[in-house]
This record gives sequence, C-alpha cells and structure tokens, in this order.
Amino acid sequence: MKLNIKSLNYSTILTICLIVVLTILGELSEFFKTFLTSITGHHWVTKGVFSLIFFVIIYFLTSKIVKDGDDLTRQIIYTIIATILGAIIIFEFYLWHFVS
Amino acid sequence: MVNSLIGIHAITGILAIFTFLLVFIELLSPTEKTIKRIQVFAYIGTILIFVSWIIGGYYYVAHYGPDVKPAIKEGSNPWVHSIIMETKEHIFLFLPFLAILVTGMIFRFNIDLLKNHKTKSSVLILSALIILIGLVIAGMGYLVSAGARVAGVG
Repeated sequence: MKLNIKSLNYSTILTICLIVVLTILGELSEFFKTFLTSITGHHWVTKGVFSLIFFVIIYFLTSKIVKDGDDLTRQIIYTIIATILGAIIIFEFYLWHFVS
Repeated sequence: MVNSLIGIHAITGILAIFTFLLVFIELLSPTEKTIKRIQVFAYIGTILIFVSWIIGGYYYVAHYGPDVKPAIKEGSNPWVHSIIMETKEHIFLFLPFLAILVTGMIFRFNIDLLKNHKTKSSVLILSALIILIGLVIAGMGYLVSAGARVAGVG
C-alpha cells in the first residue's frame, strides 16, 4: 500500500487542532472533562486515544478523496504553523488559566 | 520503581530526539546508502516516542496524579504543575503524529529524496520541529522534577 502523504499531512494538522480543542474544552467545561474521564478513567488518556483514532480515521477518509503529489511544501508549512500555533495556544491558555 | 519509570520515560524521550537529530544530519547530504539508514533512524525514533508516551502516561496516571501533583499544587510553586506540566503533557501529544508524518514521508519518497529538494527540505524542517519541541518538553520535564523535589516528593 502506497502512503498518501497529503492525507497524512491533513490528518496531522487536524489531529493537532483536535488536541488543542479537547485540551481547552476540558479545562473550561467540568462536564466535558468528566465525560473524557469517564471513558478511560483519565481525561489525558482519553485525549490521546481519541487523537490516535481520529488521526487514523481522517487519514483513511481523506486518502480516498485527496490526490497525492510530490510538491508538499504548502501543506508542510500549514503543518508547521498548526504545530507552533497549537503549542503557543496551549501554553498561553494554561498561563491565563493560572493567572486568572 | 517509580524513579525508574521517570528515568525510562526521560531516556526514551531523549533517544527519540537524538534519532531525529541523526535523521536531520544524514538528510543534509543524503546518498543512496544513507537513505536506508535514515529510514531506520526515523522508524526507531517514532517507536521511541510511543514508548516514552506509554511509560510517561502510566507514570502520570498512576503516580504523578495522585502523589506528586497535589504536593506541587499545595507547595510554593504551584505554577510548575498548572502551567509547565499541563503544557508539557498536552504538547507532547503532537509528537507521535509529527513523527509518523516524517517517517511516512521518508519511506514514501525513499530514493527520490536525493533529487526532490523541496520534499527533502520539508522533511528537514519537520525533523527540526520534532527536535525543537522535544528539547522544550525535556526542559519542562526538568522543571517539573525540580518542582517535585522542592515540594518534597521528588
């Protein structure tokens, strides 16, 4: 099976977005955090399991519609931006959460 | 037992950073011979990230959460958990997926990495990103360990 790198790239970007959203929602909503905890026994473990499952599902869904190519520069730039922005958002959120 | 879990978590994490550093260095001037080596390094690095994730996750849930976290939060440096540890444990979750992407690209393009300079540059930048995030996470881990020692549970 030939890997579809564009799909792998899209699933990486969307999974990073999902991790950021789950992290912030989990802190802002006690109900959501309890829901996450109820699935595996710990909210962080659930976030990890959800991310893995989501990553695989998005890869297989997008690989059916996205045509792979050799020039991935633009997609890689999006991945780098998503990663750096995601890290900054998480850090800033916890900083704000602690200070407030 | 608990200390050895942290040790294995940290060592596997640092080895993972090191293997992606090797990927980066080898990719600067790849040859047909070194492509296989780059694939092996990327594959091992990805496995090490998953091992570090599982061991660190077990330690976090079984020991850090019930014993270390409350002591740090009640101590003189609660920010060590509330900002540093919370950021570390969530940013860490980016790494397995970035590692899969880099490894996937290296295997998919294989020998084409020698002539496709755009793709080679993309893999180089992504490897550098993994190394950078890994180093930041390692530094945060050091801060959390120091915070635990100050709180009397390290």
